[in-house]
Amino acid sequence: MLEATNLVKKFQSGDTTVTAASDITLSVPDGQFVSIVGRSGSGKSTLLSLLGALDKPTSGSIVVGGQDVTTMRDHQLIGYRGKSIGFVFQNYNLVPSLTALENVMLPMEFAKVPKPERIERATQLLEEVGLEPDQMHRKPGRLSGGQQQRVAIARALANKPKLILADEPTGNLDTTTGKKIFDLLHALSRKENTTIVVVTHDLEIAGKTDKTFHLEDGKLVKK
Amino acid sequence: MNPVSRGIRNAFRNNVRTASIVLILGLSIGLSLTMLVAQKAVDNKIKSVKSAIGNTIDIMPAGFNPGSQANNALTTDTLASVKTVAHVSSLTETLDDRLSTTGSEQPTFSFGRGDNNGSTTSLTSPVKINISSDGTGANKGYRVFIDGGGSLPTNFTPPISFLGTTNPGEVNGSSIAIKSGKSISGGADTNDALVSTDMASKNSLSVGSTFTAYSTTLTVAGIFDSGSQGNNNTVIVSLPALQRLSGQAGDITSAVATVDSLDNLSAATTAIKNKLGSDADVTSAQDQADNTVKPLNSVKTVTTFSLIGAVAAGAVIILLVMVMVVRERKREIGVIKAIGGSNLRIMSEFMVESLTLAVLGAVIGLFIGVIGGQPVTNALVSNSQDSANAQIQAPGGGNVPIMRPDGAIRTRSFGGQFGNRLRRSGAVQGLSNIHTQIGWGILLDGFGAAVVIAVLGSALSAGMISKVRPSTVMRTE
Repeated sequence: MLEATNLVKKFQSGDTTVTAASDITLSVPDGQFVSIVGRSGSGKSTLLSLLGALDKPTSGSIVVGGQDVTTMRDHQLIGYRGKSIGFVFQNYNLVPSLTALENVMLPMEFAKVPKPERIERATQLLEEVGLEPDQMHRKPGRLSGGQQQRVAIARALANKPKLILADEPTGNLDTTTGKKIFDLLHALSRKENTTIVVVTHDLEIAGKTDKTFHLEDGKLVKK
Repeated sequence: MNPVSRGIRNAFRNNVRTASIVLILGLSIGLSLTMLVAQKAVDNKIKSVKSAIGNTIDIMPAGFNPGSQANNALTTDTLASVKTVAHVSSLTETLDDRLSTTGSEQPTFSFGRGDNNGSTTSLTSPVKINISSDGTGANKGYRVFIDGGGSLPTNFTPPISFLGTTNPGEVNGSSIAIKSGKSISGGADTNDALVSTDMASKNSLSVGSTFTAYSTTLTVAGIFDSGSQGNNNTVIVSLPALQRLSGQAGDITSAVATVDSLDNLSAATTAIKNKLGSDADVTSAQDQADNTVKPLNSVKTVTTFSLIGAVAAGAVIILLVMVMVVRERKREIGVIKAIGGSNLRIMSEFMVESLTLAVLGAVIGLFIGVIGGQPVTNALVSNSQDSANAQIQAPGGGNVPIMRPDGAIRTRSFGGQFGNRLRRSGAVQGLSNIHTQIGWGILLDGFGAAVVIAVLGSALSAGMISKVRPSTVMRTE
């Protein structure tokens, strides 16, 4: 279960204080596929950063699997993120100097998974997301956008996380590829019983998720 | 893939940039190594010059040099106080004189005694002079300049040096070997003398033979070999004997004080200077060495600052490169942090990347150091060569006017022994002849410099890495 309670995030921009998240409370049961929608600048990515422990809230709490993430220290958060959360980003964010296979192996290396196991798991995941064997040894620069996003999804699943956070995963892809990627995420979440939170502005995609949260000016609204 | 292999791979992400950085770093490290090589070579030279000099102090009459019009006499009484100076272990006093062979004719030329009341010796010099006054003859490259011109007299023979010394075991600073007979006592006023093997052979002398000098009969007590033709043209008697024979009671030409240890040389020199005041010029070997190596010390200073500058330049290059790389890869750093990479792991990668560039630069730098070490050292030292040579110029043989305590002025001949120690040592002749050596020590220093450059250069970038927030990754470009 993912539970966020009274989340507030404020930024200082010059002399002005910007409230990116204002008193947000939400909960997502295990294994659910939910979406967060809203206009550009509504605070979707900020909320995802907070839920993924990439950033700390100004106030409020986030509890994942009974663990309060907001009270963790920086070095604890590194381990928590590596093992419990998978990220999928709009612009893939693969490490350009590593091959597809090495990119998927990287989170497992940080989690100290033995090398043979890393290779086996990464290969299996890349096969599941539909990457051809010869493409596994290519660097991101030699893969298409869709292929890169498949690698990013495989990387997010590497450590079998309880929670996957996806920020506009289809934003840089054409409609057909975007649909395939979404279906892939959906299928994998079902298979691995992983909770998935997707940030999107595509209402069609949002409509296919178990639950949708609407954000406006940093506040959660009911529609 | 571990941080080391990732760091190495990252160093080659952009081959053109890597090549440029490595080349610039190579020049920087090469300059560092060149300066290090030059510094060590100069340092070794300084040490060899100093170690070749010994712990002696030369004492000469004040203003004593061939060009001066008058010099103060130095006497045994004056030098008595030197023997009491702390750390002076011995004092060798000498009196030089020259006599012509009885019956020979002497031209008026610039060596030989001018006014010894016509004293002569029955000995004939073993030195052969195959030169003529007009530059013709076997060794026509050499000429004897005769006052007023003209030719050498037909029955000319070179004058013979007489050395009165308190240490008969040495001639002009060089040790002699007694080949037959025995040595004499430097302090006893006897008519015993030491002659060289050449002199003995030329004059059919053996131990116990006699010859005349200053109208006195002297007995050969021993026959020596000094190893040089000039010194073999010298008859050694005790100091009191020569003072008596030449009518120069109490006079000495020079003295050499030996100090118990090199560490006390400077203090003893100062003490002797204070004792003798304006009566004498006191010069220690240390002073001569210091003056001699002064230009080399300047070179050493230049190389030290250049070395520091080159290492600093290399560090700045790496620092700027790594700062640029961190800024460029900020998002990537954020991604790695987001998926579980710690600051330490990321910093390690960047450190390895920086080290890879520095080590590659060091390899190029090593070639530059090997090729450039000797020429750069020569160039740096050559400028100081003339001044270094000037520092070691010392009076040669000749006549010097001496003012005696009674006010009378007379001419004294001398053998030009002063300042010879440095020249004899061979260290000074090779002052400009410095050989560089690149051993394992310098190679390790070079790679050490590369590591220092890499560590210093990546320090700032490490700080920047630690400040990158993982949420950076959420911001779209």
